[in-house]
Amino acid sequence: MVTFTVKVEAEGGLHARPASMLVNKANAFDSKIRISKGEKTAEAKSILNIMTLGVKKGEELKIEVDGADEQEAAEALKQLFASNFAI
Amino acid sequence: MFQKWFSKKKESTTIAIAAPLTGRVMPLEEVPDPVFAQKMAGDGIAILPTDGLLVSPVSGKVAHVFPTHHAIGLVNAEGLELLIHIGIDTVKLNGEGFQPFVQVGDQVSVGDKLIHFDLEKIKAAGYSLITPVLITNHEMLASITFTAGAEVQAGSGIVMEALLK
Repeated sequence: MVTFTVKVEAEGGLHARPASMLVNKANAFDSKIRISKGEKTAEAKSILNIMTLGVKKGEELKIEVDGADEQEAAEALKQLFASNFAI
Repeated sequence: MFQKWFSKKKESTTIAIAAPLTGRVMPLEEVPDPVFAQKMAGDGIAILPTDGLLVSPVSGKVAHVFPTHHAIGLVNAEGLELLIHIGIDTVKLNGEGFQPFVQVGDQVSVGDKLIHFDLEKIKAAGYSLITPVLITNHEMLASITFTAGAEVQAGSGIVMEALLK
C-alpha cells in the first residue's frame, strides 16, 4: 500500500470539476483508492463520495492506494494534485 | 401515460428521470466544459433552463449539497446517483444567487423544490446556465435515452430514461 498526503489548491475545493477529474484518474487503475479528510473517508472512484467530504481549498488529504498498480496510480494522483487539476 | 412509465420501469429496470428544470434538453457533448462534455463526471444530459427553479427529478435522498449551493447530489431508491450542476463554473459565484430548500439527508419526491437560482444574476456575471444532469455511478448503467432539443417542464414528463445493467 502507498500512502501520501496532498494539499488541495483548487479554487472552491474539490467541487464537481476537480472531483470528476479525480474519479476519472482513479478509475484508470485497478487499485483500491481511499481519500481521507480527518475522520472522514471516501472511495476515490465515487464522485458523490468525494464531494461529500466537502474538501475546501487549502485542506490536506490523506490518500491510500492499494493494489497491483499502486505505484503508477499514486504517481498519477500526485501529478493531478500538483497540476491543480489542469486539463 | 404515467401509469405506463412506472409499470415499464419495474419490468425492465428502466429508471425514468423527470425534468428537474424548465428548459431545453441538450446532449452533454454540447456543454462548454470538457469535464462534462467528455462525460468524466458521469453520463446524462444537460438542460438550458428558462426558469430558475430546480426540482427533484427522482424520488430519493439528498446525498450532498455543495456549500456554494450551485450543485446537488441525489440517490434514488435503486441506488442511482445523480449530480445536477447549475450552470458552468458557477462555483466561482460562491453561493451568490443560489437558495437551497433542502439539506443532506432529506427525503425528496419528484417535483420537490431543491434549489432556486437567479437566472439573470448568473447570466449577468458571465456564466453559462447550461446545467448538466448526470448519473455519476455509471457502472450501474447499460444505456440512457433522451430526446435532444426537447422542451421540458420542471417536475413533469420524462427527460431521460436510464436502463440499468
